[in-house]
Amino acid sequence: MRANEEGRRNIMRAWQRSLVAACALLLLFGGTAYAQVSGITPVEFSYTGNRTAVWIVAQLHTLFGAFILGAPIFVVISEWLGYRKQDLRYERLAKEVTKVTVVLFSMTALTGGLFIFVLLSAYPQFTAWFINQFHLVFAVIYPSLFISGTIVLYMYYYTWETWKGEKKGRHIALGVLLILIGMVTLFVINGPTSFMNTPVKADGVSPQDALAGATLWDKIANQTWMPLNLHRIDGNVAFGGFMTGLIAAYMFMGAKTQEERAYYDWMGFAGNLIAVGATLFQPFTGLLLAYEMCDYDFSFCPYMMADQLSMFFEMQGAMIGLMFLAINYYVWLSLKRIEGAEKVRMTILVPIVMVAFPFVMMVVMNYYWIPDPMSLAFLLPLVFAPFVFGRFIPVTVSARTVMKIGFLMVIVGDAIWLTPHGFAATGAKMLPELELPEAWGFLASMPAKISAMFTLVVITVFNYVVYNRAIRQGIIVWGKIDFTSQFVLIFLAFTSIWTMGLMGAVRSLVRKYFHTYGLVPDFSAESFTPTLSYSAWWITGITVVFFTVVSFAVILTLRPSASKNEVPEGSPVPARAK
Amino acid sequence: MWNVIKKLSIGLVVGIALVGISRALEFPSIFQMMFFGQTIFGAAVFMLLDAPSIRTMSGAKSVIAIVVFYVVLCTVFVSGASLWPQFDPEDEKGKIAKILKPKLAATEQGKAEELIARVKALDEQVKALEVRLMSLGAGQAVKESPAVESPVVPKTAAAGDFMKLGEEQWQLQECYNCHKLKGEGGKKRGPELDNIGSYLTVDEIKQKIMDPKSFMAEGFEKDWEKGKMPDKFKDVMEPNDITALATWLSTFKNTSVNTPKPIKKK
Repeated sequence: MRANEEGRRNIMRAWQRSLVAACALLLLFGGTAYAQVSGITPVEFSYTGNRTAVWIVAQLHTLFGAFILGAPIFVVISEWLGYRKQDLRYERLAKEVTKVTVVLFSMTALTGGLFIFVLLSAYPQFTAWFINQFHLVFAVIYPSLFISGTIVLYMYYYTWETWKGEKKGRHIALGVLLILIGMVTLFVINGPTSFMNTPVKADGVSPQDALAGATLWDKIANQTWMPLNLHRIDGNVAFGGFMTGLIAAYMFMGAKTQEERAYYDWMGFAGNLIAVGATLFQPFTGLLLAYEMCDYDFSFCPYMMADQLSMFFEMQGAMIGLMFLAINYYVWLSLKRIEGAEKVRMTILVPIVMVAFPFVMMVVMNYYWIPDPMSLAFLLPLVFAPFVFGRFIPVTVSARTVMKIGFLMVIVGDAIWLTPHGFAATGAKMLPELELPEAWGFLASMPAKISAMFTLVVITVFNYVVYNRAIRQGIIVWGKIDFTSQFVLIFLAFTSIWTMGLMGAVRSLVRKYFHTYGLVPDFSAESFTPTLSYSAWWITGITVVFFTVVSFAVILTLRPSASKNEVPEGSPVPARAK
Repeated sequence: MWNVIKKLSIGLVVGIALVGISRALEFPSIFQMMFFGQTIFGAAVFMLLDAPSIRTMSGAKSVIAIVVFYVVLCTVFVSGASLWPQFDPEDEKGKIAKILKPKLAATEQGKAEELIARVKALDEQVKALEVRLMSLGAGQAVKESPAVESPVVPKTAAAGDFMKLGEEQWQLQECYNCHKLKGEGGKKRGPELDNIGSYLTVDEIKQKIMDPKSFMAEGFEKDWEKGKMPDKFKDVMEPNDITALATWLSTFKNTSVNTPKPIKKK
């Protein structure tokens, strides 16, 4: 019976390997050959239209790609922690996420192959031009990296049981190699992606002449390449963490014993913690990307934030506000499962700083705008004041009160973020009855938005400090978390991916009526800014498809192993001992 | 239940107070509604914080709960996005077609499309003539027929209104996003231009559009140094369009508006 099952699994693995190889080869030869044929007329995609058809497959490919690049970073760190702490839970977490990653690797290859074919059939002229610009990347470097990544991932997975004990270091090294290949793949493909937004340019020279004189490296290392790399690396780690949280939530809900619940409660918390850590940097790297875009061509800025795409940013504000509320709500629920948390008290300076922060930062940003380091001279002392002066002030408040004030300020921060200059989707149609009074215009200014963004980050950090204080003084009872928390984990995974889709659409739409900004105009009838509502429908549809596949992969890979012998984790023991 | 009533009451009191304050400060009613909505949302968050724990689910119950949760999320996200004001793509389509027209005409595809359009127009003329001849009947003397309607030819600058073309370029290139003119647009990103004609000639304005570093407006030193005005217009606009825009701008000589003085840099 076991032999049959093993045989069936091997066939499955062979099928996956073949699919990955076939897609990589099709991408390599099909794309290159097709790109050389001129005079091809585009295929008309009915119902979706050509642009949306490309959007769907490109977004799906990006999501699966983000998973297979983000998950290994998460997995290898977890495996290393397990090895170092001799904690079997980390080892199990790493292996379970790797199992899902192996299945989704095939989906990345499949959607990648589909992407290139849809692109070729929908926009043959442009795709031919684009492939020729990055011929070496598309024909040699990217497929080679993808195939290398596949080989190393399968090696990493299949050597798990054999490279144990003394050979564990070797296995972790293989994981590090996998991360490196993933990183290089991401950096390489971000070259053409960012090139479409900010192609190489030179003062006093036409874009065509600048391109003619550019090397492949000039095209790759364009102005937004490195900011996009940073934003995506950080985003992928957050993505890996939130997806781990999602897997843990599914497994927690399907768990039969208290031991299983304890393990998946821990797994959800660990995944979420890594995701939150990475999410805290997202506003910074996102801001850097937007800054470089505006520096490349200032007309991007009003187009994104004051004109056609301004309501996309309102929606982004709403989504990020909801995410930060959910992140803090998860901490709140986690605190409830710590015995003795009610005795934890914090200096009164913590809530005072929480309340003062958005307003102080708004004022500081008006005088010392980014990247002026003088702003730090005011803001850093404010943030660190509770930790430095707290011990000298005898007045304290309970941890619950601190967190409740934190929630209040997250709501206030999000309200500031969501206050628009006016309720019109374009400045051209702004009416006085829709516009913010002039005296209050600062609420819609960039300093206000930045202060709102940083408020969410600072309060989340403070709440984790409170949580950390609680686990030092109390006892965590893993598995006893409020069941609502599992929906919070699912919500975070879904919302983060939806937001990725939304901002991906913004990054792409910023090119306006160009395929490659300033170089290749898009003459098709779909060359316009779509409505937010239309975009939301498609982003939701894409997210649902992605979630369906991931959910299927989780059930397929993890259900049979759910009842394997694991170390019991349910007993309440001092938190610091775990 | 007491928790819900208490939080909702606080939310309503704070929300009504905010509406009153914002009305006194002359915020438009849509902002007042937004503040009220955010307060009620805040109250809902605080209700959730003190809500009792839900029972652990398993098996089919948890699967149904997850599916229902996803349906709710999808509905909330799509309807939430649809509630914001929507940009009308029709506003942009005509603009983009006008901007891309000369570029399309220069491509093989554009030339082919122009030929096809001409052939279609001729074909329709022939068909119209055939119909007319048929209605007259065979052998009947052909009277002079009224001219067959020629295809609609869009008015162009070459056909006449150069100033109108200049004004159209102002709209097409979305100059209003940075510059205030006639009291509209701007948001202080770039200098107000109502008196620009008193400072610069047509050729100088052309030079500034084609090479933004050629002049610097007083008080905009940082923006000039950063190169905030895009240097793309020489590439995305036709020379005739730049001249039309510069000519139109040079007519603005409203001395009551404080247009910053341009300083020649090149």
